[in-house]
Amino acid sequence: MEPLPLGDLVSVRVVVRTFSELCVTVGTVIVLFVVYVLFWTGVKADTAMDDQIAQLQEQWSKGSVAAGPKEPRSTGTDAPGTSSGTSPDEPAPYKNGKPFAVMYIPRLGFTWNKPVLEGTRTSTLKKGLGHYASTAQLGQPGNFAVAGHRRTYGDPFKDFPRLRPGDSVVLTDGTSWFTYRIDTKPYKTLPSDIAVIDPVPKKSGYTRAGRYLTLTTCEPEWGHSHRLIVWAHLDSTQPVEAGKPEALRR
Amino acid sequence: MYGFIWRHLPGNTWIKALISLVLVLAAVYVLFQYVFPWAEPLLPFNDVTVDNQ
Repeated sequence: MEPLPLGDLVSVRVVVRTFSELCVTVGTVIVLFVVYVLFWTGVKADTAMDDQIAQLQEQWSKGSVAAGPKEPRSTGTDAPGTSSGTSPDEPAPYKNGKPFAVMYIPRLGFTWNKPVLEGTRTSTLKKGLGHYASTAQLGQPGNFAVAGHRRTYGDPFKDFPRLRPGDSVVLTDGTSWFTYRIDTKPYKTLPSDIAVIDPVPKKSGYTRAGRYLTLTTCEPEWGHSHRLIVWAHLDSTQPVEAGKPEALRR
Repeated sequence: MYGFIWRHLPGNTWIKALISLVLVLAAVYVLFQYVFPWAEPLLPFNDVTVDNQ
């Protein structure tokens, strides 16, 4: 075989080198992206969630004594949706994208606590758990439904499959503690199954209207083909002045 | 590609190295601040609701 002329050899070398450098660059970007998804979103979400809880606590320390929880959310512009509450003391609608409660689930960790924000938009779920705007308000008759990330953005519902009947889900809106009691094992369903957040969800085993809670997250852990659901009913309510509910004491 | 950039950076080796470092950090910043936040919602980890609101 005839050896290549020098000029050709150099240009082949340039092409091969540039190609390999591009491959190395793409590989590096992919590794950085994995770092971003697995680690950096968690750092950002933890900061954002702490920030939301701090906001809430400031709001509560200012407003809770004078006007109750209604004052800070009185200008909400949300549509009332299908909220089934007809009780005379129904609170004002929550403000879209704003925090209104803190959730505690001892089963997910004694220090596990996350802010609950109004709405389930992607940007909202980066800052905490999201309340389905069309469902009942906290502690009201109907179904208070909340969605959260299983993975990424702080992994709030990473241990969702460990939830069991009898576990408590405790929420506070600054004036009251609401203790919900889980009644079902995590139920796997399809993303299109919106009946799971109905006021009386069919598959939950509940037959009568009541004050329920639904939690939803994705299934499998890193996928999006299904959803995991648990249902709970309101077990007890107490004012914040009465101290932490039983489930959070140790 | 990188050889080309290196040859066109001004100054001696140390200054070139310093500029390269700054360029790399700038690239990582742009990726984390703008490119990845745009790309991440295209992955399935955001689908946690039942009605895709």
